Amino acid sequence: MNSGPAPHLSIEGIVKRYGSFTALDGVTLSASRGELLTLLGPSGCGKTTLLRIIAGFLQPDSGEVSVAGRSLNKVPPNARNLGMVFQNYAIFPHLSVADNVAYGLRARGIASSEIARRVADALARVRLAGFADRFPDALSGGQKQRVGLARAMVIEPELLLLDEPLSNLDAKLRIEMRQEIRLMQRELGITTVYVTHDQEEALAISDRIAVMDRGRVLQVGSPRDIYEQPAHAFVADFIGGCNWFEGTVSNGELRLGAGPRLACSAAPQTARLALRWEDLRPAMQTDPPQHCLAARVSIVSYLGHRVRLHLRACEDGTELHADLPSYGELPAEGTIALFAFDPQRARVFATDGKRLL
Amino acid sequence: MKRAYDLPPKGALARLDPWPWLGTAAFFTVVVFVAWPLSELALESFIGQESQRLGFENYATFFASSYFRRALFNSLTIGALGTFIALCIGVPLAFAYARFDFPGRDTIEVGILLSMLSPPFVGAYAWILMFGRSGWVSEFARGFGIDLPPIYGAFGISMACAFGLYPLVFLVVRSGLARVNRSLEEAAYSLGRGRFGVMFTITLPLVLPALLTAALLVFLGVVSDFGTPGILGEGERFPVLATLAYSLYLSEIGAEPGMAATTCMILLAITLVLVLGVRFLSSRRSVASDTASDLALRALAGSKKWVMTAGVALLVLTANMPTIVVVVSSFLEVRGAVFQPVLTLANYHNAMAAMGNALWNSLMLAAIALALIIMVGAGVGYYISRRSGLLPRALDLLIMVPFVVPGTVLGIGYARVFNEPPLLLTGTYAIIAIVYVIRRLPYMTRSCAAIVFQIDRGLEDASLSLGRPPLAGFRRIVLPLMRPGIVAGAAIAWVEVFSELSASIVLYTGPTRTLPIAAYQQAATGDFGMAAAYSTVLVGIAATGLFIFLIAARGRRDRVVGWV
Ligand SMILES: Nc1ncnc2c1ncn2[C@@H]1O[C@H](COP(=O)(O)OP(=O)(O)OP(=O)(O)O)[C@@H](O)[C@H]1O
Ligand SMILES: [Mg+2]
Repeated sequence: MNSGPAPHLSIEGIVKRYGSFTALDGVTLSASRGELLTLLGPSGCGKTTLLRIIAGFLQPDSGEVSVAGRSLNKVPPNARNLGMVFQNYAIFPHLSVADNVAYGLRARGIASSEIARRVADALARVRLAGFADRFPDALSGGQKQRVGLARAMVIEPELLLLDEPLSNLDAKLRIEMRQEIRLMQRELGITTVYVTHDQEEALAISDRIAVMDRGRVLQVGSPRDIYEQPAHAFVADFIGGCNWFEGTVSNGELRLGAGPRLACSAAPQTARLALRWEDLRPAMQTDPPQHCLAARVSIVSYLGHRVRLHLRACEDGTELHADLPSYGELPAEGTIALFAFDPQRARVFATDGKRLL
Repeated sequence: MKRAYDLPPKGALARLDPWPWLGTAAFFTVVVFVAWPLSELALESFIGQESQRLGFENYATFFASSYFRRALFNSLTIGALGTFIALCIGVPLAFAYARFDFPGRDTIEVGILLSMLSPPFVGAYAWILMFGRSGWVSEFARGFGIDLPPIYGAFGISMACAFGLYPLVFLVVRSGLARVNRSLEEAAYSLGRGRFGVMFTITLPLVLPALLTAALLVFLGVVSDFGTPGILGEGERFPVLATLAYSLYLSEIGAEPGMAATTCMILLAITLVLVLGVRFLSSRRSVASDTASDLALRALAGSKKWVMTAGVALLVLTANMPTIVVVVSSFLEVRGAVFQPVLTLANYHNAMAAMGNALWNSLMLAAIALALIIMVGAGVGYYISRRSGLLPRALDLLIMVPFVVPGTVLGIGYARVFNEPPLLLTGTYAIIAIVYVIRRLPYMTRSCAAIVFQIDRGLEDASLSLGRPPLAGFRRIVLPLMRPGIVAGAAIAWVEVFSELSASIVLYTGPTRTLPIAAYQQAATGDFGMAAAYSTVLVGIAATGLFIFLIAARGRRDRVVGWV
């Protein structure tokens, strides 16, 4: 699973229970040195819990975290040399912005001239150059978040843990900060675990993504793998938009209701087929291709870079979506149109979510 | 890649989580200084005074004696009456402050807090000056041929205690009212209830827990008070449990330590029953919404606001009358037992001449105790509110015990336990400092625990993640944020420690006499002028200290969180 030869951060079979509730159910992950690994998953799936275990604030019920081959289980958080950005910022309210950022440097006994230089540099990186003497209660949520980012990055830690570090920024600043984090992380070669539930952010920033659901890691892979080769129905559904079709596998083919058939070598069972919204293309009524379906266009929403059609399949009334380029001819609302797809792009999953095809 | 900065190498110390160790140390300290003396007293109460056999002999003696029964009855009477009077003063004030805006609000509030400053026995003494046999009000009335009812006894004691304790009612009920969401009241108005309907159907039920707590605090204060019944009870004539225990223990004509222990246990039983009762009642009614309503106060129209001001001011002025009388009297000439309208400093000359090292003792002991209270209280407050488990809960419980144990009881317990090795402390300064600390630590731990509860745990995690060991993070992050809680707790603890009488009077010896003891002794038996001078110095120093704390608390950036 590792992209590098020896993992820098390795997480082995972490289990964490709160009473009878299992927040983490055997999580195994690793990241090579300098890699940015993203934990992506819905709210409550255990991302923060895992991050806090890596940081040492929580003790796992079983499993082990190690960095550079050294187990961290008995190392207290303050000796782990890591930088963390907290989901709720955790900015020290009684210290100025500059003192907040300098806090970790002072703990490392660095000369004050060096601290001043470092702090100014870090604040410039997060676009807070003029804010050094402000106190946190005079900052907006997004500004606090950036103070947290500067505070964690300025110590150039061995391991950087970011818990939704950009959740409170506007769209433009978010992209800017995202690039800044990526740049600095690469420059310094800091192994980074990045938590987000924003799929676009995850795809854009990560070397690899771990998709989590209910305390389990369902798939780890490059952004491209995750998007194009989802290993689990949940992954396909959570990242990007999918149209879902019910069907049955028998005699080496998957049959979707009365509609199209696809070759499928799995054992006979019921199955679900996923087709990305952008993989449905309008087809000519006059010359229907082999794999196509008819649907009524209920809403046409214009999204700028593309147009989203809300559809209802003629056969069984299933809700479908199709994303089309926003240039060119579009079917009108209320009309019935024919949509084609490439069976190569379809992904087939068993009822338990496992990938079949 | 080479890291630019490395953490300083960690010694074993930086890896250690010190809190469980500190918590354990605190726990054993409290066991020695709270649990041990009290269990010793409990045990002694069951060892017959005559037969030396284990059993209920002492309790039988107690309830067989009409004198002892009278002390019990008297204690309950002054407790109930004093609570009633304090509620009558404190509750209207709390309502006025929680709901209305009127001219002079802030100034008058200082007056309310001032009445907390003088220990009740100083007030008691003022009552004698005014309404005593040769008090100037009594003399004045006698000039018109009116004989005022005697101030000695239940009524006088209750009044004096209530005048000293009503600020507690004010503080507790006001914060309870502030927590009642005003939109509930508004909803009731909109549903067609009148002002009194809303008051009785909505507001009162919601502040009932606060009212109960306030009543409990006052009752505990009254029945535990030693000085007031000591002065206004005229010794044997109006015995209460607190004075009875003291005289049984220290009687010159044959002390009866077994009976003293029994009396202590009965006093303790009363306070425990009340505490548990109030807890039970308010836990069944925990209805208050904790969304603080920061709504604007109602501005009163035209003349109404002046009526409000006058009413509130009059109430507060009356409550402060005893202190004012004592201060003024201290500058008047005394002839016999009667003050003359002649200004003089003679009282202070005499007082200073007879002072010995009482003033110095008080300053030193109170300062040491306060420093310990701040250090231990802040640490323990943090520990009990941040850590879960058996030890923090047990520590929390045990450390609160002295809050409900009358000072006389604790004092007698100390005198019994620490008069022999391994801990031979009787007669030392240390025993008085310790009893100060143990009695007033609850204020500090409560105040600190409350504020730590509001501090985001993530801040400590952040500090750890940035490389600071736990204690360094506590010092740099948590402690500065706890400051308002520490200052609030310390302010109260200072006043209470500096005027502590009921435990120290059992434990002092000649060289360790303190200012409150000197003031009490003069007021009870000696020179009226000197008593007034001692009391004035006492109240003055307590006020100065409080003032310094208030200045320290002001002008800070941090949120100020009230004590209760
Ligand atoms: N102290 C706790 N006691 C009990 N359950 C907890 C505790 N802390 C977290 N949980 C539960 O563990 C699960 C995982 O929580 P976690 O905070 O890791 O979620 P998350 O993935 O970070 O979610 P979000 O995206 O909303 O931040 C949640 O269902 C949460 O309710
Ligand atoms: Mg989270």
